[in-house]
Amino acid sequence: MRATVKGRVAVFHPQGFLDGNNAPSFLTIEDIKATEGLNIDMLLVSLKKVIFFNKNGLDVFIRLLINIRNQKHISVGLCDYDTPKFKTIQTFYGSDLNFSLFRTEKIAELFVATNKSDPKTVLLYNEDPSQRSAMAIELFDYGHNPIIVQSKKEFDEKKRNPDLYDAIIEDTYLGLFGQKVATRVTGNAIIYTISNFLDAEIGNSFNIAYHNNSLNVGFRLFIFDAYKVVSMNIHALNFFTKLASSAAEYNATICFVGMTFEKTPITFKNDLEDAGIIFFDQMEDILKNKELLEELGGSSATASKQTRALTKALVNELPGFIDATVSTLAMMTNAKATKESMNIQPLEVKESQNQYASSIGFYGDMDGMIILIFPKTIAKKACELLIGEETDNEEAILDSLAEFVNIIGGRAKTLLGEKKNRVDITLPRTYSNVNALLEMAQNKKGVQVDLSFEGSHFTFFLTR
Amino acid sequence: MVTKDEIERYIQNIPPAPTIVKQTLDYVRLGDLTKAAKCAEEDPALKLYLKTLVNRPVYGFRNEVSDVSQIFGILGVSTAQQILYNYLMSVLVPKQWELFHLTHQEFYDLQAALSAKWTKILTHLSLLNRESESAITLLPASIIVCDALFGAHKSEVEQLKSVKALDYNTILYRLCRSTLFDICTQIALKWEIPPLISRIVHAASGNDQDLKPTEKVLAQWMHLLLFFELSQGTYVSAGLNEFIEFKIEFVQDIYETFMQVVEYDESNG
Repeated sequence: MRATVKGRVAVFHPQGFLDGNNAPSFLTIEDIKATEGLNIDMLLVSLKKVIFFNKNGLDVFIRLLINIRNQKHISVGLCDYDTPKFKTIQTFYGSDLNFSLFRTEKIAELFVATNKSDPKTVLLYNEDPSQRSAMAIELFDYGHNPIIVQSKKEFDEKKRNPDLYDAIIEDTYLGLFGQKVATRVTGNAIIYTISNFLDAEIGNSFNIAYHNNSLNVGFRLFIFDAYKVVSMNIHALNFFTKLASSAAEYNATICFVGMTFEKTPITFKNDLEDAGIIFFDQMEDILKNKELLEELGGSSATASKQTRALTKALVNELPGFIDATVSTLAMMTNAKATKESMNIQPLEVKESQNQYASSIGFYGDMDGMIILIFPKTIAKKACELLIGEETDNEEAILDSLAEFVNIIGGRAKTLLGEKKNRVDITLPRTYSNVNALLEMAQNKKGVQVDLSFEGSHFTFFLTR
Repeated sequence: MVTKDEIERYIQNIPPAPTIVKQTLDYVRLGDLTKAAKCAEEDPALKLYLKTLVNRPVYGFRNEVSDVSQIFGILGVSTAQQILYNYLMSVLVPKQWELFHLTHQEFYDLQAALSAKWTKILTHLSLLNRESESAITLLPASIIVCDALFGAHKSEVEQLKSVKALDYNTILYRLCRSTLFDICTQIALKWEIPPLISRIVHAASGNDQDLKPTEKVLAQWMHLLLFFELSQGTYVSAGLNEFIEFKIEFVQDIYETFMQVVEYDESNG
C-alpha cells in the first residue's frame, strides 16, 4: 500500500480489519522504501475505513512511522477516528504514546507548513493543560488563531456554534512535536518561528526542503520570528550564514525579528548582517510597512530581479513535459487535448478573467517551473475525477487543481529520472487570480504552448 | 483511462454460459441432482473443477471425493447451484491477472471462503435459500471486471492514487458513470442469473438507496464479509483491499454480531 500525498502530508488508508496477522501485508519493502523517499513533513495512518484494529496490527504501522520520524525528523501519527477509537488507542499505548493523534486529517493539516496564507480560527480543548498549551503554541506558530477553552463544559457550549470556527480540535494528542521549525505564510512572505537555544540541531529542525521549495516557487522574503530565542551558538550562526548565501542566489531576503543579543555575542549580529540578514525589532515593522515590504520582496513575488534563461537541456525535455500534461488531462477527463501553437516568449495571457492558474517547480540536476492556466470551466472538468461531483466551491477546485498539477510534476520527475536527471518537485501553487501569477512570471521568458481542449484553450508555460 | 467504449467492449466479449453448465444448472434448480451429475460428467473441465473445489480443506472431507453424483449428493441443491455459479465465474477469470497480484489458486480460495462464510451467515440470519446462497458467487465477478478494465491502466491509476485515496469503483463511476457492480449486473443478465442475485450483489457495494429490508440486510452482511476476506494478508498483498470503498457506516450496526458469526479472534496476531 502506498501513502497518498497532499501538500506535505502523506497518509496511508488501510480498510477493513487490521491485526497482527494481516498488517505486515499492507507494507511491502517497496512501500517502505517509497515512503522513506517522500518529501514530507507529516506521515499518518488513517483509521477512517478500519472497522477493527488491535495493538499488534497498529504496531506494524507505528514501527514504520517511528522509524521514518527518526530518519527525517517529521511528525507522525494516526488520524480519522471517533472517540471510542481514540480511547482505545490511548489504552493500548498509555504513557508510551510517543506519536500524535489527530481526530481528522484536516486537523492534522493545521500542524504543518503549507505555501498558502490561510489562517484558520480553531476552537481547542484538551483536558491535559500541557497538551492544550503545546497545541495552542504550534497552531499559533503555523499562523492560525487558536481559541483555547479551559473546561469541558465551556467547550461543549462553544461547540454548539460550529460555524464560528474553521476547525474544532478535540480527541487529539501531540506526541513528540516541535521537531520542525514552525512555518507560516503571510501574503508573499514566509515566517519561521524559532525559539530557545539555537545550536547545531537547527540543521535538523529547519525544513530545508520546504525552504528550497519556497525559493523555487517564487517566495522572496523569509522572516525568522526570533522573539523566543534565548541564545545562539557558532553552529547556528554558520547555519544562518549559509542560508543567507543560498538566498542571495535567488535575490531573496532573510530577516530576523525580535532577536535580542543579551546572551548571544553581539559579533554574531555583525556576522549575520555581513551575510545579508536584516534585523527588525517588531514584526509589524515589516508587515505593516508596504514600501518596505515591497523593497524586501514580500509584497508580491516580483522581486526576482534576475531572470534566468532557458537551457537547451530543459527545452529538450519539453515534448515530455507537454506529454505529461496532455496525458494527465486525458487520464482525468477521458478527452484529448491538442497542441495549437508553441513560442519562446514571456508568458502572455489574453484574458485573465475567469481563469485559474497553477504552477509546480522542479529542482536538482535540472531546474524549471511548469505553469498551467485554465479557463475555470476546464479546471473544473479536469478536477471532477478528484472532487467527485460538480462544485463551485473555489477552495475545493483549487485544492484539486494542486493535486492535478502534482500528478503532472510527478510524471515530469519520472520522465527526467528515466534520463538519469534526479530532480525534486516543489509543492504546487494555485492562483484564483491569474494576475498574481502574471506578476510573478513577468519578464520570465519561457516556452508557451497553447493547447485546445473540448473547444476551449489553455496555456502551458515552461520557464526557469 | 477506462472509457465507456471499453466497458461496452468488455461486456460484449463476455462469452455466453456454456450449454452443459446451463443444462446442469436447470436440473439443479429442478432438484434433480442425478440428472445434473450426469450432465456435468460430460464436461471434463467442470468435473475437474467440482472435484478440486470439494476436496479443498474448507469443505473438510477426510477422503478424496471424486464421483460427480457423490459430489452433488454431498453438496445438496443450494450449494450445488452456488458451486455451478462459481464455475461460471471461472470462465471469466483471466489467464494472467494484470492489476491484482493474484494466482488462480488464491482467487478460487477466495470464492470458497466467501461461499462457506456466506452460508454460515445466511443460517444465522435464517435466510438460507437457493437464491440467497448463490448470491455470493457473483460478488467476485466485480474483482475480475476490475482487473480486466484497469489492468491496462495500472500506472495511471497509481499516479492518481498517489494524490488521492480513490478506489477503483469510484474512479470508474466518476469517469464513466458506471460501477463495477453495474457491470456485474450485465454479466448476470447475460448468464440468466436470477435478478434477485444481481440486486443483492449490486447493493453490496454499499451505495444503493431504497432497498427492501431483507435485501439491505443481505447487502450489509455481504459488504462486511467482502472486507473481512479482503483484509486477509494474501488479498491485502494482492492489492484487493483498495478495490472498492469500505463503507463502515453501512455495516456498523451488524459488526458485533458479524464478529461472532465468523468467529473472529480479536487477539489475532
